[in-house]
This record gives sequence, structure tokens and C-alpha cells, in this order.
Amino acid sequence: MEMAGTKSRLTWAVNLTVGFLVLLWIIPTFGLLVSSFRDRDAISTSGWWTALSASEQNAIVRADAPDSAKPDGDAWVITGNVSEGEGGQITAFGITSREPVAFAPGEVATHKRGQQITVEANGDYRITYPEKPSGSRGQRLFVRAEAPPSFTLDNYREVLFAEGMGKALLNTLTVTIPATIIPILVAAFAAYALAWMEMPGRALLIAGVVGLLVVPLQVAFIPLLKLHNNIGIGKGYLGIWLAHTGFGLPLAVFLLRNYMVGLPGEIIESARVDGASDFAIFRKIILPLSFPALASFAIFQFLWVWNDLLVAKVFLGTGEDQAVMTGRIVDLLGSRGGDWEILAASAFVSIAVPIAVFFSLQRYLVRGLLAGSVKGG
Amino acid sequence: MNQLLFAVSTIVVGVFGCVAYFYFSNILLDRVFPAKGPNAGTNINKANAIRPWLFLLPALLVLGLYLVYPVFSTFVLSLQDTRGSFIGGENYTWLAGDGKFRESLGNNLLWLVIVPAASTFFGLVAAGLTDRIKWGSVAQSLIFMPMAISFVGASVIWKFIYDYRGENQGEQIGLLNAIVEGLGGTAYAWITMPFWNNIFLMIILIWIQTGFAMVILSAALKGISEETIEAAYLDGASPLQIFFKIKIPQIWGTIAVVWTTITVTVLKVFDIVFAMTNGQWGTQVLANLMYDWMFRGSPDFGRGSAIVMVIMLLVTPVMIWNISNAHKENR
Amino acid sequence: MKLGFYASAAAMALTAGLTAGTAQADGHLKFAPGEGAFSWDSYESLKAQELSGQKVTIIGPWLGPDKELVESVIAYFEEATGAEVEYSGSDSFEQQIVIDTEAGSAPNIAVFPQPGLAADLAAKGLLSPLPDGTADWLRENYAAGDSWVDLGTFEGPDGNDALYGFFYKVDVKSLVWYVPENFEDAGYDVPETMEDLKALSDQIVQDGEVPWCIGLGSGGATGWPATDWVEDMMLRINTPEEYDAWVSNELPFDDPKVIAAIEEFGAFARNDDYVSGGAGAVATTDFRDSPQGLFASPPQCYMHRQASFIPTFFPDGTEVGLDADFFYFPAYAEKDLGKPVLGAGTVWGITKDSEAAQAFMDFLKTPIAHEVWMAQRGFLTPHTGVNTEVYTDPTVAKMNDILLNADTFRFDGSDLMPGAIGAGVFWTGMVDYAGGKDAGEVASSIQSTWDSIK
Repeated sequence: MEMAGTKSRLTWAVNLTVGFLVLLWIIPTFGLLVSSFRDRDAISTSGWWTALSASEQNAIVRADAPDSAKPDGDAWVITGNVSEGEGGQITAFGITSREPVAFAPGEVATHKRGQQITVEANGDYRITYPEKPSGSRGQRLFVRAEAPPSFTLDNYREVLFAEGMGKALLNTLTVTIPATIIPILVAAFAAYALAWMEMPGRALLIAGVVGLLVVPLQVAFIPLLKLHNNIGIGKGYLGIWLAHTGFGLPLAVFLLRNYMVGLPGEIIESARVDGASDFAIFRKIILPLSFPALASFAIFQFLWVWNDLLVAKVFLGTGEDQAVMTGRIVDLLGSRGGDWEILAASAFVSIAVPIAVFFSLQRYLVRGLLAGSVKGG
Repeated sequence: MNQLLFAVSTIVVGVFGCVAYFYFSNILLDRVFPAKGPNAGTNINKANAIRPWLFLLPALLVLGLYLVYPVFSTFVLSLQDTRGSFIGGENYTWLAGDGKFRESLGNNLLWLVIVPAASTFFGLVAAGLTDRIKWGSVAQSLIFMPMAISFVGASVIWKFIYDYRGENQGEQIGLLNAIVEGLGGTAYAWITMPFWNNIFLMIILIWIQTGFAMVILSAALKGISEETIEAAYLDGASPLQIFFKIKIPQIWGTIAVVWTTITVTVLKVFDIVFAMTNGQWGTQVLANLMYDWMFRGSPDFGRGSAIVMVIMLLVTPVMIWNISNAHKENR
Repeated sequence: MKLGFYASAAAMALTAGLTAGTAQADGHLKFAPGEGAFSWDSYESLKAQELSGQKVTIIGPWLGPDKELVESVIAYFEEATGAEVEYSGSDSFEQQIVIDTEAGSAPNIAVFPQPGLAADLAAKGLLSPLPDGTADWLRENYAAGDSWVDLGTFEGPDGNDALYGFFYKVDVKSLVWYVPENFEDAGYDVPETMEDLKALSDQIVQDGEVPWCIGLGSGGATGWPATDWVEDMMLRINTPEEYDAWVSNELPFDDPKVIAAIEEFGAFARNDDYVSGGAGAVATTDFRDSPQGLFASPPQCYMHRQASFIPTFFPDGTEVGLDADFFYFPAYAEKDLGKPVLGAGTVWGITKDSEAAQAFMDFLKTPIAHEVWMAQRGFLTPHTGVNTEVYTDPTVAKMNDILLNADTFRFDGSDLMPGAIGAGVFWTGMVDYAGGKDAGEVASSIQSTWDSIK
């Protein structure tokens, strides 16, 4: 009984801790998600957490032009609605920027030029001019309105249906898939050699791989592009696959070797005794057992290539047949940036595929096929 | 459609090419040094000496070409001025005297201490706990999400956290300041706060890297054999004891891997600082300083390259640590 | 109609943008040849050159709507000559052009937002000099042609000066944006002199309001708006010659004259009463968010000094000329320095020479290349041969007048300084200064960096 009690209390504690951690981790992203459904003005004037509830906002609305006033008895009148039928309760209004909330709905304000202005709670306004007014510049009405939560799909529409986005998606996949698979293959063999084959200078090679992890990509661009140009690859898919393979390889070798070195030596030894070649051992024992490590590296490499813009800009051409999604999205933003609503929507558009990859590979992040006998790295 | 065909066929050719290389090169090796006949003994020895290099060759070629060669040319560049003439160690002496460089070095060391530790810790906690609950894989995906979000997305996300609006500039759109004001405090321009702004930037990287640590550690935790755990459990060990006394020692190697990888990421950290502060208000780091000199306005590859060499030098202790780990494994 | 209530205007703007994009993809010309006040004869004369099958690649900093605009101009060149032009924009233009030219995969033509980088590439031999006669053409056809020739002339790899850069599309920076109706409501007049501007600022403070919105934030380029302020102030308290000397560092950065200009900026930006959010908010407020304060209800500020491109960041549906307007950032009446104007522009240079690339550069000389963009939006030009009737937007025409009538026109100094200064310590130094550091201290640290790169 007591055992069970402790256990369930512990389970509760675990659930709560994980819940708290998850909350902490997704709140920032959630803010972006909410923002992706808001328009730019709303994003830069109020916090995303306020978007979920009705809020009181001050707004400036321009009434119809004086030219359009219609005669009404002796006076000339313009009528309309400040919210254009979108609802929202007016709680105060004003007619100058100095006193934007001087009047309650229904009260009559008199402009210094003589016209009388009133705004009703439902947003209907009425401007009465004593004489026929002229001019095309409408009167500004300042209102404080109870605005219902307002969301828009426009940001997503703009990103998803942008010209060339479908083609760009295809291009991105063309870059990403080989750039994920090739380094895994190359690295897996190298990792096996570094983990289980006797050779001189092994430790130095391992250290070298760690050292190469730290090379900032920026320094590699010019010499490599020069090289590609000299050997005739130029800018294109082949070049970017090779580049991503090179840049991803140190991490791949490092992760895989460390996983493989933790695999049980007895199995490998007994296979050797049975006369299996290294190639056979690698294919039949190491690869299946290393699936969790292969899958996790595949996830990271996929993510990195998927979200990359820099390497693509350098090693791929810019024409339509080679433009990647990240590049198209940057094109949607203005030259001076700051279109946060588009950034937010595109972040969620581009996260969809990596998350799907993560989900589909997540089930491979489990015990190796020979569960139980693996002792972990 | 053509392109899809092209992509698919290159994938097939590439993958099969790789596999074929390994397969046939091995067969060839066995033919050249057959493990039978009069010289069987020496042949086996010879083949065993060569085989690792067959396995390593493609990786070494790619690494050599795509990373070692650029590092070498960077070193050469670091000894040159903007016009490409040799100036010896002048760029390095300039570095030693540069205030921004010293500031960056100090900040980088701070990053190196805090970020790998915090990310690994949170990753371990997340991996250890999500393993035990029903909605574990959902929780993992959510914690992993920051990793998957594009960098531009992440920078907007944190703008909505750290943003500051002064008095009369309207309501706060940064969550942190909204909370502070909600609690009755006064808003603050967080990213200009001396020293602490570094921490605020680090939080972003920790937030991203925890997902990485979690995935790797979770795979390692799942690799621990159930029998050991079962046995300990029957001996009456509490779950906490099992975690700290049995699981942690077994995945120690993986923790080292995660720590190393995040350390290296920290040395290269550039995007976050670039987008949030561009190194102002005392937040400069080496990689951003390097970028400034290499690509800003009038590029000075010499100075930029000298900074890169310093970054590479900083990783040496981690390399040495990994060599000694590798020696231990050789048993 | 609306100034920022619900979001339908945004949706309309969106659809408009999308359709414009598709129209261009079809290769249709924005304005049908032969119609309107355009200089169509200059378009017809382009047809003399047959360039079918040739390709020109261009890389530049313009993205999004700006990219569509530049492509609408390019379409006329393609249509007339048969050449194919591929323009691509980059958000990290500086890095990309450096990598591409150094590695030998340069585009034919690069559009530099700052002349400094172009000068650097020229010195390394990565730019081709423009054809002979271009300089003479500029002198004859650009207002203040000599200064445009000087700005585009760089030292080549052989140490000899040559004309490498051609200016096309210019921005005026000495503008103060305001909401005319807010001025009317409060009874303020547009100031004609710097003295009046300061008096107006004080008046606004006395009325319990805040005169200025200033934001220096710009991600990786934080601080640049402050450099524009300082440059404008340099031209208002010192002579143009001293300005030139400052830009070339003959007048050291820590000279009292320069420090005085920095402090003139500080008189605005470091005065808690003058700026929305207080001086502490200046450095962190994003320059793109900054103008929003003009349109708040009640207004958070009354004036915003920024270049001619800023209406992009006004709230959706804002009509320039009606909802917002600008006036010339005035000069001191007591200092006899005329009406100086600060500007900037994009420099086009040939990074990989070809017949078609040269033809394209010739195309930029034709009035039609200017008029097509002028007739849309946001394009100013010193080209005197264009028909200014094509301006559909009276405010842009007004800006062009400011440009053409300037007593003194000076190019953005930070763009002309070496990158490490003008796109480096000058920015960061100004952020430090706005944060409370002493002007003299900031100036001498900028000067010491300048000394270190000589």
C-alpha cells in the first residue's frame, strides 16, 4: 500500500515537472503562433497575450469626405459607421488628437469650424454642417472601442500562395533529402572504423573530427565556391549536396562513433570469431543496433538543411529552378525587414515538415533491435 | 516533374554509389589479399591494416576538402592584410590590443560555462522524465520544437519576450515587461542591461539546445539494459537512486558528447547575438566579431581570419578531453 | 478611409501585391509603350540593340515589393533588347557579393546600397570600370553631375582612379515626418528654421506632449538612424568642406566640430522630455516601429526624422500627403550654410563584364528606366532628362524638388566611410552615446578604430 502511494505521488511529481518544463518551453513559441494570426499593426501595438480577449483600443477613423455631404433641411449631413459593420462597442470619442476621448457616445461635439459631430455606441456617426462643406479630406474621428479579438489568415495566405512557393518547396526537398542521407552513409562507415577497427592514430583522428566541428562555415564559403567553380561544378545541386555533406560530417561522425563505441563488444568479437567480415558485421550488427543514433542525427541534419539559407545562397543559383523556400520567404519580407506577421506565419509554415520528420523518426529513437543487450554509449 | 525525377535519381545513384563503393572496395581488398592460401596470415594482417582506411576514405576526403582545406587557407589569410600581402603576426598583435576582442573573449568564456551546462541539465531532466510518462513523446516534441524553428522565427519569438516600450510608447508587447509591470515593477530595456543582457541572450540558446540534448540523451537512456534496472529495482532502489546511480553513469559517455557538441555550438554562436544586439551593450562574441570584420562594409579577411584561429584554439581543451576519453575506451 | 481600426485594408493591400506579382511574371509591361507622358523614344531607341539569347544576372539588396518594382523596370530592357535578365535580392547582400566575387561566380551587375563596399571591390580588381564617356554623360545629365561622378569614382587595383559606380535611385534623408492634422489640432506650424524647430519642440513639451519619436534599433544594424542625425547636424553647423573632410577623416572624428554635431543630436535624443519613451528607449526602439507613435491616439509624438523610404512602415492604409506628410529638416537661420540636404543612393557596378551587362548599364541612362519606377512609388532621381510629370504621387515630386533645389547636397557620410567605421563603430558608438556615454569619449574611440585600419 505504502509503496503504491509513494509511486503515485512520484508519478504526479513527474507529470507536473514535465508539464511545467513544457509550458516554459512553448510559451515563447505560442506567442509567435498567436502573432502569426494577427495583422502587423496589432502586433506592434499590443502584446500577443491580449489578442485572446476583447480589448479596449483607441483608434482614428476618417469620416467620409465633406464633398459627399447630403442636404438635410438647412444643414448638410454625413453619416456612416466607424467600424464599417465589423461590430465593436464605442465607449468614448473625440474630435481632436489632443482630446481623443472627451465625449461619451451619443454626446454632441462641436468642432471649431462649426460642424456638430456625434458618434453612437454602435459606431454610427453623424456630422452636421451648417453650410455646404467642401473638400475631399474627411473629418478625423477619434474613438475608443471595445474591440473583439480579431484574427486573420492573411499572413498564411500570403506565405502559402506566394508565387513560386510550390516550386521552392520542391527545390528545398531536392536539396534536403540527399544532403541528409549522404552524410549519414559516409559517416556511419567512418564511425565504425573509428570505433571498432584497430588502426594507428585513431585518437588523433577522433580529436581532429571534434576540432573540425568548430570551423565557422563563413570561412569555408570562398575557398569552396572557388573550388567548385574551378572543377566545373559551379553553383548547383551537386555543389550544395557536397557542401552540406562536408559541413554535417563532423557532427555525424562524432555522434555515431560515440554511440557505436558503446555497443556490446562481445557480439562483435564473437561475430569476428565466427569469421564474419567487417563489412558483414557493420551491415548486420552495427547498423541495426545504431538506429537510434542514425535517426537522431538524421533529424538534426534534416532540420539544419531545411532551415538553412546561408549555404543555399552561396552554393545554389538564384534562378527559379534552384530557389529554396527560405529564400522565397525572405523575398516576401521587405528590403528593410520588420514584417513580423509574415515572419511569424512563415516560421510555422516551415516548421511543419521538420516536425513531421521528427514524429516519424521519433519511434526509432527506442531500444535497438537487440533490446536489452545494448548497454548504451 | 523533371526535377523530381532528377532528385530521386540522384538520391538513388548517390546512395547506391556509396553502398557500392564500400561493398566492392571490400571485395577487392579480399581478392587482393585472400585470407587463404600460402600467405593467409600476412594477407589477413595486411587487409586488416588497410580496411579501416577504406571505411574512412570518403569521410576523410570530404572532411579534408570541405573543412581542413578552408581552415588552412584561413590560417594563411590571417597572416595577410586587406591587400593580400604577408604581414606576419600583425593581425594577432592587433587582436591582443583590441578592446572589443577582449570583451568578446570574456563573454564567450561566460557562454562556454553557462550554456552547455544548462542545456545538458535541462535536456537530461527532460529526457529522464518524459521517459516515464504516457504523454512523453508529445512532451518531447514540444520541447524539441525550438530546434526545428527557423532562426528568423526564433528571433521574432524573443523579440516578443524582451521587447521594451518606454513610458508613453503604448502598452508593452514584450512578455517579460508585461509581467514585470503586472507585478507592479517598472519596465526595463533588458537587452541593454549590462552583464545580464548576456544571460538573456544565453537563455535563447539554452532554449534551442535543450531539445538537442534531450533527443540524444533520451536515445542513450533507452539503450540502457532493462535487466540492470530491473535488478536494482528488486533490490529496493528508489527511482531517483536508479536514475543517479545506475542510469547516469551508464550514459556518461553520451553526456560528454552532448556537452562537447553544445560547447562547439557556443563557440560558433553568431545568429542570436547578431539579430538581438549585434554585439552592442557589451554582448559581443567572437563569431559575431569575426563576421563584422569579414563581411561588414569593407571586408578585412586578415583580421576576421585571425579571430577564427582564436575560436579554433579555444576548442583545444575539448579536443584533448575527447582524446583522453577515446584512450580510456580502448581499455 | 480608415487609419488603423480593423484589418481589411491590409487584406486589400495584400491582394493588390499578389496580382502585381503575377502580372510581371507574365512579362507584361507595367505601362503600355506609347501611352502617357513617358519618354517612349528612349525606349524605342533601345531596340536598336539585339541581345536575344544573352543573359544578365543582377544581385541587389531589394526584396519583396521593392524587388517587384525593380523587376518592372527591368522588363522594359528585356522586352526591347530580347536579353534575359535575372534579378535576385539578398537579405545579406554584403556577404553574398563578397563571397561571389572573391570565388569567381560573380553576377554581371551588383547594386550596392553603399558606395564603400563597391570601392573595396574596385580596389581588389573585382569591378570593371564603366565605359568611357559615362562620366561625361553624368556631368551633362545628372543634377550636380560632378558630385555623382566623384562619388562613383574609386581607386582601381592599379592605383588609378576610374569611374566604377553609376547612381540610380536616390533617397533624401533630411526629412521630418508629421501628421498635419495633429499639428492643426494643436495649433503648430511647420518650422522653417532649426531655431523654430527647437522652439516648437519646447512648445510641445510645455503643452505636456512629446515632440519626437526616435528609434535606433535595426537588428544587426542597430544605430544607423543615429548616424543620419549626426550627418544632418554636421551639415547644419559646419561647412560642406568640413563635412567632406570628416568623411575622409582629414578632420578627425574627435574634433570639437564633430563632437558638437554629435551633441546637437544628443540635444534631441538624450532629452527625456523630447523623445517618446524617454531617452532610455531610443536605442532599443526599432526604427520600423518608431513612426507608429505619430499615428497613435492620442499621439505619442509629433515629429519623426527619417529618410524618404519610411512610409513603408506607417500603419496600413496611411496615405502620405493626407494622413502624414513631411517637411525639410531645417537649417539654422543664424549660420549662413544655406539649405543642405543629406541623401543616399544605390550604386550599380559591373562585377562581370559582358556586352549585355554594358547594354544594361546604358539602359539605366535612358529616361524611361527612371520614369517607369517614378510613376510607381518611392523613386527619386537626379536625372534632369526625365519627365517629372510621370510622378503620380505629389509627395514624391515634392521630395525630388528638395533634392534638385538643394544648396548643398551631401551623400550619407557613414556610407562613404570605411565599413569598419561607417557600418561598424559609428553605429555602435552612437548607441553608446544614446545610452549616456560622453560624446568626446565615443568620438575618440571611433577615431582610434579608424587609426587602426589605416
